Amino acid sequence: MSSSILRSRLGAAARCSRRPAVTRICTRGYPAAAVPQEERPLETPDDWTQFQLDRAEFKTLVDHFSNYGSTQTRDNTWQPHHSLHRPVAPTQLTLSTLLAAGAHLGHSKSLMNPNFIPYAYGVRAGVTVIDLDHTLPLLRRAAKLVRSVAANDGTIVFVGTRPDLRSAVRKAASRMEEQGFHVADRWLPGTLTNKVQMFGAQAVLKQRVVPDLVVFLNPLQNMPAIRECAMEHVPTIGIVDSNVDPRIVMYPIPANDESTRTAELIAGVLSVAGREGVALRKEEDLKRQRRAERMAARQRDYERVAVE
Amino acid sequence: MFNVLRQQARAPLRRAYATQGYVPPAAANNIGQSMIPRFKPRPVSPTFYTGLPSYFENVNTLESAITTSRNILQNLQLLPLPKFARDALPESTPVWKGKDELGFQVETKLTTARYRRLVGLLTQLEEFRKIADTAGCVEVAESIGDVTVLFQRENRDAVLAGGKKKPVQFDKYGRTYTIGRRKESSARVWMIPVQGKSQKPAAAAASSVPSVQAPLPPAAEVNESQNEATSPDLTPFLSPKPLAKTEEPTEVTATNIIINNVPLIKYFPHSLDRERIMRPFRLAGLVGAYNVFAIARGGGTTGQSGAVALGVAKGIVAHAPEVQPLLKKAKLLRRDPRAVERKKTGRRKARKAVRIFFFSSCSASLMLTFY
Repeated sequence: MSSSILRSRLGAAARCSRRPAVTRICTRGYPAAAVPQEERPLETPDDWTQFQLDRAEFKTLVDHFSNYGSTQTRDNTWQPHHSLHRPVAPTQLTLSTLLAAGAHLGHSKSLMNPNFIPYAYGVRAGVTVIDLDHTLPLLRRAAKLVRSVAANDGTIVFVGTRPDLRSAVRKAASRMEEQGFHVADRWLPGTLTNKVQMFGAQAVLKQRVVPDLVVFLNPLQNMPAIRECAMEHVPTIGIVDSNVDPRIVMYPIPANDESTRTAELIAGVLSVAGREGVALRKEEDLKRQRRAERMAARQRDYERVAVE
Repeated sequence: MFNVLRQQARAPLRRAYATQGYVPPAAANNIGQSMIPRFKPRPVSPTFYTGLPSYFENVNTLESAITTSRNILQNLQLLPLPKFARDALPESTPVWKGKDELGFQVETKLTTARYRRLVGLLTQLEEFRKIADTAGCVEVAESIGDVTVLFQRENRDAVLAGGKKKPVQFDKYGRTYTIGRRKESSARVWMIPVQGKSQKPAAAAASSVPSVQAPLPPAAEVNESQNEATSPDLTPFLSPKPLAKTEEPTEVTATNIIINNVPLIKYFPHSLDRERIMRPFRLAGLVGAYNVFAIARGGGTTGQSGAVALGVAKGIVAHAPEVQPLLKKAKLLRRDPRAVERKKTGRRKARKAVRIFFFSSCSASLMLTFY
């Protein structure tokens, strides 16, 4: 069954209106433990409505007095969900952003890969510190690559196979609309090297099955996938940590691969660049289409004149 | 729009398949018209490269549904729910489709892990629907219900109703019809409460039309008081308190127990069989309360008396549900599974073994068996 039926019903759920008795007061995030609750039994829907109204009333009060409290509020401070839902553009990326996300924390000194040394700043307390002066330009280079591939109508796959990376790759792929894909669970071996069996002969002949770029948020756990990309000549971008050889991917981004915030930041940066590329491609397509229409109109005029 | 767009606008005119940006080195030199994959369509689903596109699309859509519902319920102050409110929620009874049926729906062969993941998401969504429904947010509950109903079995009501024992039906005269079995015998038992002299008889139902719910017993010699349809007053039988001076003494009624058109005493001359049938009445304290009409077929005396006893016990529970724990404790509601054990090959009877004789002077091959 296609999920189009599901999606249409989801839309209805999002648009649905509520009972007129309860006014819409958006006060999310307030801890429930602080809200005083009378422990009365809730039997009828009217009891429930009263329960909802009591809570709404208390929260309105709290919000009103919050205006007289600290200037640092939920809206103007960084919240954990911002790294996923408020991505940073490549031009706005700074060393402070990377540092705040913990991108500079590598693995222990004993696990350092000798090929990673150019990207390491040093070692402190037994932990490798990654040089963010290298990370930032490499990340911007990767972003430019993503933008170019997208602008040339290329398909980009975001691979993040840990549970905490699932939402990051989904979001990144959705930002790129029809040119973005994601693998959030497991890269099945043979996806690229055994594509006829995987997708069927018709799909391989008729569709563009091999992607134009693959972004790995945890390359160490996806070595088979990286190998397949190399065999199929697919360029790869990956977040390499200090225990990884940076040469496994074509465009390494030396950063902390264990931090969810870092992965979300990097996926966000790349997907914003990808979104720009998709917009460029659409603009190009539109221009080409208009040019073709003008040419066709001109041709028709010439033919009409020739007939006359 | 974006800074990049302004920069690109200043760039020179680009060709249709421009190589600005990136070209795979291996393909740069000998790229031909037919080799450019540009004009083939892209895969449609964003989960194409997972290998199970339809499954993961469904999972993603359900996760989005859960996030949306959670946001809506938070706005409506219904989440997070404190303990006393959560206890006030009714039991949810969703009947999700089986692994095969759900696999057919999501166009994927489902393993147990994948099935459980889907069902876990559906259970969470159903929980939100229940909260919205209980709180009276009809539109929200209906919207979520539209999504969950796609994954529920069509015969949901039948599945929920099945597995429970059907309640014993009372016909229009107040008779119960129960069946008891023991060994090779089966008994069909009709029971009706006895009307005492103190109770006013209701208008006798003259029609003899058989009711749809319970089969009528064939015409037999029964008390005239059997025709009344009022429920009996059991307090004289069940009340433990002693009689006050002003109270009337307990009225003891006489019952008829008829099996295969023959009274109990005649049909079961052996007292053990009669006791077996009377035992449920004695334990319940309802010895004179019901008239019993039974048809027993198959087996012998013990089997038939056991079958009638089981039918009688079920009938008593139907008329007086409060004695059910009592009879259950006494194991009178249990269909006795003991039956004659079959004969096996190599043995004389079920257990009786064949006798083997050995001659001590000769070898083992001279072992003789007698059949």
